[in-house]
Amino acid sequence: MRTGANPAKAGLPAYQSKRLGIATIMYIPSQEGYFEHSLEIFTHMIASLRAATDQPFDLLVFDNGSCAEVVAALRSLCDQKQIDWLIQSKHNLGKAGAWNWIFAAMPNELICYADSDVLFRPGWLKASLEVLDAFPQAGMISAQPNFYDVMSGEGKAHLNLTGDSRYALIEYWPRSEIIDEFCLGIGASDEIAEPFYKNPLPAVKNQESDVEAVIGASHMQFLIPRQVARQVVPLPATMGLRRTETMSLDYKIDELGFLHLSTQQPYVFHMGNTLSERLLDEVKKVTGAPAAPTAGAKQETVRKAAWQRLALRLVQHPRFNRHFVRLYNFLFQALHSKR
Amino acid sequence: MRVGQNPAKSIDSVPQPQRVTVALVSYIPFLGGYYAQSLEVLKTCLGSLWEATRTAFDLLVFDNASCNEVRGYLQDAHSQGRIQYLVLSDKNVGKGGAWNFIFQAAPGEIIAYADSDILFRRGWLERSLEILAAFPQAGMVTARPMRTPEAFYTSTLEWARQQADVQLEQGNFLPWETYLEHVLSLGTSEEQAREWFASRQDIRLTRQGVSAHVSAAHFQFTAPKSILAQFVPFDMDRPMGQVRSLDEQMNASGYLRLTTCDPLVKHLGNRIEAGSIQDGARPAPKLGFLHLPPVKKALLRIYDEIFRLYHT
Repeated sequence: MRTGANPAKAGLPAYQSKRLGIATIMYIPSQEGYFEHSLEIFTHMIASLRAATDQPFDLLVFDNGSCAEVVAALRSLCDQKQIDWLIQSKHNLGKAGAWNWIFAAMPNELICYADSDVLFRPGWLKASLEVLDAFPQAGMISAQPNFYDVMSGEGKAHLNLTGDSRYALIEYWPRSEIIDEFCLGIGASDEIAEPFYKNPLPAVKNQESDVEAVIGASHMQFLIPRQVARQVVPLPATMGLRRTETMSLDYKIDELGFLHLSTQQPYVFHMGNTLSERLLDEVKKVTGAPAAPTAGAKQETVRKAAWQRLALRLVQHPRFNRHFVRLYNFLFQALHSKR
Repeated sequence: MRVGQNPAKSIDSVPQPQRVTVALVSYIPFLGGYYAQSLEVLKTCLGSLWEATRTAFDLLVFDNASCNEVRGYLQDAHSQGRIQYLVLSDKNVGKGGAWNFIFQAAPGEIIAYADSDILFRRGWLERSLEILAAFPQAGMVTARPMRTPEAFYTSTLEWARQQADVQLEQGNFLPWETYLEHVLSLGTSEEQAREWFASRQDIRLTRQGVSAHVSAAHFQFTAPKSILAQFVPFDMDRPMGQVRSLDEQMNASGYLRLTTCDPLVKHLGNRIEAGSIQDGARPAPKLGFLHLPPVKKALLRIYDEIFRLYHT
């Protein structure tokens, strides 16, 4: 039976989510072979995210049935308050299956999805938001120029821009270093890489603000407004990681009339599953950067009165803590005992 | 860079969700005071769920920033495959915030929600599903009959009176013991319970040979996800105390609020055994003067402030 009143009903505020929520999916079934370095790469991702994001955010990690060691590491990150929401699925629901959870449930106004092997660089959010501001009809915005048209020319939403005097369809020639980096990230062969150097990327320009964006976005990392995310679920989810299923996200977004866009500069980098000197240098460059108020994300800004601050210091002091706990328990028992 | 192909690309099929997702929200910030026995209550709740449920289901537990002991227990149950989806929230997003998450993300077509202090009895889910099937307009079905204010079920009555194939009966169908069991679990006195019991009657509907009482409660209910999803997001800025909006919206939208005729779930509250508070500390002090209104008010204030200091 219930004895006493639940303290949670005493008018405490419930946590209100930040404007930005960042979500990633983990699937590390073993720490061998392809996945040997995956956990370490994930920790680099989190570190870069904290260092390179200049706005507070909530972090959601969806664990898609990883091995016990990885689950333990995630729990530890939870305990260190590095993860705001950890979803643990007993089985691998596939990438689309995990997206169904993320896009349906994240409460944040802006949702950033990233694979767990993405390195974030300072400026990624600002550049993404600039694109969103300039093109409010954007449904997905990647912080790296998109080189692959996953819809193979079938996308139609951007055609609505034709004839709209506010926008101009243009061509964008990325610098060769940008293409080099992209190809390195995906481990592209020369044959795959060659066309990237020879062809421009389709792009669009907002005539008023002069903001330009590449047409197309990547599943690896993108920003999606919550109101768009809610409209695309549920996605078909019957396989582990098949393009046919993840592409259904693109088709739904396009059918709804939202644009796939990406920034012209690479603010994110695909780390993949191997570590290299270059990668570690890159990680150091980002995480060692002094600029970002790193964890705006983890700073709570609840203002407390002077007496509350003093009381808080007292209850947290090892010498007084147990006395407060005893007082609390005594009061509970005394106040809720039968007369 | 990527070397090799991600083995996940060779996974041809992934488990598909069960039709029913049973979802629980837990919030046990520490094991003392009000929450002294809450972990035992949670274990009893989950144990009875696993024992009493024969229909296949996925279990989703949303933990709203509980203490390590509770998380450790949930983690073990998840590792053993007894909880299919475990959500650990670093902050208490409130019952409404957890509902927002569950009602949108739970993969089942049917969501069976329960607070984490519920005892499940054999047949609770099957009978609830039977009622949902017989009354397709049903928005929520609680697995125990109860008497609640009519304001929350006006739509149910209105609908029932218009249906030729629905038999509507009014009378005392609820046994006193069943009524008392629930009311006592809320901390109400037997005297008060008798007064309430005498002042109200039950309304029973029967359709296609399936009977249900008119009423429902948000501490436990089974509902189609498609209906629940219409009411999110719940705008709730406090951890508890605002969840009646689900009952109000459900009724205002014209959905039926029903219960089973038998008590197939039981509210446990925060104590397993009635009559004593056991939290490893000394017996409850019986200091009558503490109950003098001004003294009690002041002490409750201190009690609440200590809780706030620890948990905000």
